[in-house]
Amino acid sequence: MTKMRVNPNRMELLKLKRRGDVAKRGHKLLKDKFDELLKEFIARISANRKLRAEVEGRLIGAYGLLAVARAEAGKANLTQALLSGAPAEMLEASERRVMSVRVPEFVLGTLSEPGGYSLATMPAVLDGALDALAEVVPMMIELAEREKAIELLAAEIERTRRRVNALEYVLMPSIAETIKDIQMKLDEAERGNLTRLMKVKDIIAAQEAAGER
Amino acid sequence: MARIAIVGDSTSVAGFRPLGFAVFPVERAEDARELWSELAGGEYGVVFVTEQVYSAVEDLVGEVLDRPVPALTIIPGAGSSGGVGGAKINRAIERALGTSMLIREEDE
Repeated sequence: MTKMRVNPNRMELLKLKRRGDVAKRGHKLLKDKFDELLKEFIARISANRKLRAEVEGRLIGAYGLLAVARAEAGKANLTQALLSGAPAEMLEASERRVMSVRVPEFVLGTLSEPGGYSLATMPAVLDGALDALAEVVPMMIELAEREKAIELLAAEIERTRRRVNALEYVLMPSIAETIKDIQMKLDEAERGNLTRLMKVKDIIAAQEAAGER
Repeated sequence: MARIAIVGDSTSVAGFRPLGFAVFPVERAEDARELWSELAGGEYGVVFVTEQVYSAVEDLVGEVLDRPVPALTIIPGAGSSGGVGGAKINRAIERALGTSMLIREEDE
């Protein structure tokens, strides 16, 4: 691990030790967050898979009915019949926080009642097709909400994992190594001091002994 | 209140107009690229796209990926087999966990 370039003195040692403590606390917190995010995530995945399979199945069924209607009424007639209806503001979108991730929450208002086409010229199967579509719409909205939440959680999990790993494998080892390095340098200086003192003491003692003689 | 948008070939999306969706029929999937800035503008809470359209706009969707709305959701179009939406979620799972093995095993 790379050492940091700091002056090997007591001041830096203290600072680094404090930083190391903070890093350790942050690492623990992030790790807890990561675990909790993962729990949320896994719980959502399997439920979502079933929902998506059902939505896709039902949509394809409804398309089939529409195709039958198109065949019976003719493409132009059907297109004209389906022109009725205007875009409506029927979705209540709000946000919720899951582990500090903002996920959307959708509440579907009432769908417009399909109609406005001539019942005389349109085949009955069109009603069935539109009913089938109207039935699947709430599920589609729920699917949209859940899949968005899964994607947002996935992004957050990735970010958190990067942070945890950066702390665990880069910052914390580097701090530990630098602390060790400073400690050794300080110890070395301490030993150097001690031997010097001993040497000086010996010299003084020798001089005193020479003076007494 | 927000609207719901749906983009795809007219065969797939026409049926949603009577239900109150904002319908964007496109002849060719590439035409959806021009609609994208409007769709992502925030007026729409949910944007449904068919699989063909999604593959055409895939490189543009990055900007909405990290925002809560709009929620971009892939639905099968008429005449497509489905599975692209599931694959998108699988990619998200792989991004989060580093593997999608774990989940597949649970399914079996």
